[in-house]
Amino acid sequence: MTMATGLVDAPLKAKAKRFGFLRQAWDHRFDYLYVLPAIVVMLIVIAYPIYYTVELSFFTTPPSLQLRDKEFVGIDNYGLILSSDVFWRVTANTFIWTLASTAFAFTLGLGSALALNHEFLGRGVLRAILIIPWVISAVAASYIWKWIYHSDFGLIGAVLVGLGLAERPPNLIDSVGTVLPSLIVVNVWREFPFAMIMLTAGLQTVPDQLLRAAKVDGAGAWQRFWHVTFPHLQGVSTVTILLLAVSNFNSFIIPWIMTGGGPSNASHIWITHIYELAFGRQRWGIASAYSVLLFLTLMTLGYFYVRALSSAENKERVA
Amino acid sequence: MSTFNFGQAIRGGVSAAAITSLLMSSPVLGAPPVDLSKWSPEYVRSIAGTKDFDTAADCNKVTPLDYKGRLTFWYQGVFEGDPDLLRQYYKDFFAAFRKTYPNIDLQEQALTYNDLLDKFRTALLGNAGPMMVRLQILGGVEFASKGYLQELKPEDVGYATEDFWPGAMKSNMWKGKTYGIPTNNETMAFIWNADIFKRAGLDPDKPPATWDDVVKYSKQIHDKLGIAGYGLVARKNAGNTPYRFLPQLWGYGGSVFDETTQSPTYGRIEINSRASKQALQASYDMYVRDKSVPVSALTNQQADNQPLFLAGQLGMMISHPSDYDVMLDLKKKASGTDVQKAQTVIDNMRYGPIPTGPDGKRAVVFGGSNMHILKPEYVDGGKVDLPAAKALACFWASPEWSLKMAYAGSNPGNLNGFKTKWMKERLDNIKFLDVTTSMLPYGVPFPTIPETPEIMNIVVPDMLQNALTGAMTVDQATEDAAKKIKNIMSGGKL
Repeated sequence: MTMATGLVDAPLKAKAKRFGFLRQAWDHRFDYLYVLPAIVVMLIVIAYPIYYTVELSFFTTPPSLQLRDKEFVGIDNYGLILSSDVFWRVTANTFIWTLASTAFAFTLGLGSALALNHEFLGRGVLRAILIIPWVISAVAASYIWKWIYHSDFGLIGAVLVGLGLAERPPNLIDSVGTVLPSLIVVNVWREFPFAMIMLTAGLQTVPDQLLRAAKVDGAGAWQRFWHVTFPHLQGVSTVTILLLAVSNFNSFIIPWIMTGGGPSNASHIWITHIYELAFGRQRWGIASAYSVLLFLTLMTLGYFYVRALSSAENKERVA
Repeated sequence: MSTFNFGQAIRGGVSAAAITSLLMSSPVLGAPPVDLSKWSPEYVRSIAGTKDFDTAADCNKVTPLDYKGRLTFWYQGVFEGDPDLLRQYYKDFFAAFRKTYPNIDLQEQALTYNDLLDKFRTALLGNAGPMMVRLQILGGVEFASKGYLQELKPEDVGYATEDFWPGAMKSNMWKGKTYGIPTNNETMAFIWNADIFKRAGLDPDKPPATWDDVVKYSKQIHDKLGIAGYGLVARKNAGNTPYRFLPQLWGYGGSVFDETTQSPTYGRIEINSRASKQALQASYDMYVRDKSVPVSALTNQQADNQPLFLAGQLGMMISHPSDYDVMLDLKKKASGTDVQKAQTVIDNMRYGPIPTGPDGKRAVVFGGSNMHILKPEYVDGGKVDLPAAKALACFWASPEWSLKMAYAGSNPGNLNGFKTKWMKERLDNIKFLDVTTSMLPYGVPFPTIPETPEIMNIVVPDMLQNALTGAMTVDQATEDAAKKIKNIMSGGKL
């Protein structure tokens, strides 16, 4: 009886569920209408370029011919990239650039956020000053830093020579060995305020009572930070690190303007190399395959970003 | 003023004659308005101011002055390395065109040398190009070969092919058809600071005769005075790099292909030849062995060398005659004691011919720009207003404006420009102009193949950077460049 009822009920329940879904969609029809323009725009400016890039990655453009004369080459472009020495060198640069920039920007941002979390005279002014690198144009900043680093008449060189600390200005951006670290310094300088702002916001969620209670219980500054503050910052830290990493993988302006990827490809990262292959050398197929690889890497980071966001939201709900 | 006898220099030298004949060889042999075989500073002076031209009347025959239309136009405009004088002439040109053709709605857009190619290529991929474009000399063949350009020859805008430098016309030819009209053509010269030469123990009035001398002088200047000797430029994606390295490469007898021969086929790669390696070795010796050139050469453009030169921190460089005006402009920005220092440099500025190689071969890049009209299918809006485009081409390529638009830094593409009264005025006003016009017969055009921009802007600077940073030896760098060029020519591997 029960079984029979169950058997009869199942399709009914499914039907009801289907109708329930349709009903729900119908009830929200105006909401869909409101987001429709955004979805259409996204399909045009994001989905189609992604599809076209993936498609192009399986083609090659013969020399002297236009893109419309492209020839299908299967996965040859991917093979060409992965078997190229330059690619692996640029990949190493990209990971050094991304990891170092992210790590240093986060650490510096965290330090600044903690320092500015205390009340002291001029805190607001200092906070405003520290945000400047993040708000000024990256293009302008790149040109200024290029001048600061200039190997012949740069500011750093002039100061060092003027103080008698060096005989010649240091070669910072014209040397294979020092160019990438020098650019990472610029990138960290520009990005750390972002981490600082995010973490300052995160610090507001640390309950004061807990910190005071820990202090009463005899916890030192480090213990209070490690056992009370830091656990509260975990969610925002993960999000900040992921956002910084995505932004660094895609960071074009600083390396392109300051060195154009040189000298001798020593400061090329994926995004600048893709640009050069596409627009300087017109290797559209190879550049597209390269972009697909970059896209997959960023999507992986994006996945972790969404997961981190969801986890943070869930924690908030539980709390 | 330089004490070098340029007339004598031009008349002498078998290799120079060979290059001259290369430049003057053209598929269309007619009578040019000037006698190219007599080309010398004296000859240029003798023809200046001998003929009057009426630009509006000439262009009226091509497109009536009351024509109503619309034209979108991109061009390589003035940039940070150009003198203010040139900026004014560009303003005057567009004002004059609008006054002459009041019913043509001209929408022009200026782009820098290094940005123009990238932007233009991108726009064409989206069929969003302008109706007309003025490109650097190495760009036209690339776009003609891809089918983006309409056929366009001087006769279409009221001039004769013979009115233009044959070498410049060659840069507009693809598979026997003509796709553009030259607006200006130039060759650079060698500039030095006589005061620095004197203080370094060199003859202040004698420029280095050979590239080996440049290496030697550069070292001597650096060792004696502690400043940079020669203004080497090796930045990637910058037109300045090939314009300065190729004269050196050709001087030593090297080449990228066989572009210095009378009938180049571009079928043989020569960048890894013994002579080409010698040329790269000279750069290596200056940058790595002697450390006698700016350390910043790998990220520098010529615009970065100019302030170094004005500050008395650089002894020699290759550039246009316009650099004299640039120095005057830069001096205006100086203050305090720097003004006097700058004036001293300007007073000691000397121009001479580009040095020769060990075998007496002298060569310089035959540079310039050309105007092209696009096919409608690649243009934003899908239409090209041909009469409006021809009106602008006629106007810019006229003897008057091709001269005025090249007043300080270049030479008129239209040879009749040399006959105008403005040329006479220019010879009196622009110091050292005779030196650079003297270099014109030594000009070698870039290879007229679609792959040239990639080879010149990326492969050649890469080769220099690989050798100068120690990432590769000179041998390895030239072999690597040869391999890259082979890949590019055969299908385009990474």
